Amino acid sequence: MLASSIQRCAVHQQRPGFARCMTCAKTLCQECATQWDGIWHCAACLGARRTALVERSRVPAWIGVVMLSLLLLYCGARLMVWTGAVIAGLF
Amino acid sequence: MIRARLTTTAVLDESTDVVVTTAGRWAAVLIATSIPYRLLQALFLDQIFEVGGKASHYGHLLGGTANLIVLATLVALWGRAVYARACRLALARGSSPGREAWRVPPAALASYVLTAAAAAFLGYLTLFTLIGFAAAVVFSGLAIGTMELNERVSVTRPFALIVRYAKSVRIPIALVFVFFCAVFVALINLAAAGQLAMWLSGTMGALDAPNWQLLFGMGNRRFVLLLFAGAVIAVEPFWIAANVVFVRKAGTQESGDDLRAWFEELQRAS
Repeated sequence: MLASSIQRCAVHQQRPGFARCMTCAKTLCQECATQWDGIWHCAACLGARRTALVERSRVPAWIGVVMLSLLLLYCGARLMVWTGAVIAGLF
Repeated sequence: MIRARLTTTAVLDESTDVVVTTAGRWAAVLIATSIPYRLLQALFLDQIFEVGGKASHYGHLLGGTANLIVLATLVALWGRAVYARACRLALARGSSPGREAWRVPPAALASYVLTAAAAAFLGYLTLFTLIGFAAAVVFSGLAIGTMELNERVSVTRPFALIVRYAKSVRIPIALVFVFFCAVFVALINLAAAGQLAMWLSGTMGALDAPNWQLLFGMGNRRFVLLLFAGAVIAVEPFWIAANVVFVRKAGTQESGDDLRAWFEELQRAS
């Protein structure tokens, strides 16, 4: 979102505003504004968002990976027995 | 250490260097953790041949061995992860890594267990279709090669990484073929060494040579299975190193790091 030329950056008062953080609504200069997923953010809000994302995604991902690994290992063992029985039947 | 272009021979050459650098402690870790897994696989095959067509009546016996194999697999996967990390560190430094090789990142290990379990499942599922089984072996090689690229735990990202590196699939397929031949060469060497030992023992009167020849002869199914297990264990360090080298080389080529390194080398030389 482009800011008007009258507005000044919240961090660097001498610089003209370039964008507005969509989380805290601060006006930002070109250096302070970062676009992520098509939305402008300030460094603090982007950092907070990233931390929250990492913290939120860690536990379910671990559960998912462990459960899927155990399932694949269990099914692999059963499949091994089944394949073995088929091979044994050939001899 | 990333020197030559991405070709099968360059990967094999550099993996030999890496194995020489990491030989000793790290190859010993890999072999020590692989032995229970391979011996149990040999036992399972022996049981399969023993029960023959009546296998369906021995579900508990075979299932029990399969469960033990799963436990041994987890130990073997940890050993492979440590060895792959040692290879990666050796590749980066050009010298044998220290204790840091033990510190496999948990996210990388978990991702590797997931992809290796998927590869094993795929391998058993497609055992009768040779192409499917070869694809499972390629998949398992890329799984160990890409292990350390998994910085965060995710269900999908390890598979996405494998697919990304499978785009230059020509080299992993060539590696599978080379190592398939290498297993047979190792098997022949081990069998020859065994026969030589038997022949030498026959020259000593105190040993009951005919009895030993029955046990360690090629007519003994269990001995042949043990030889197969030994051949796979002997080739495994080279296989893992080759896959780690392949992924690193493919990655540096993709990111342009190889050109950067080459440019730096030229600057140093001039």
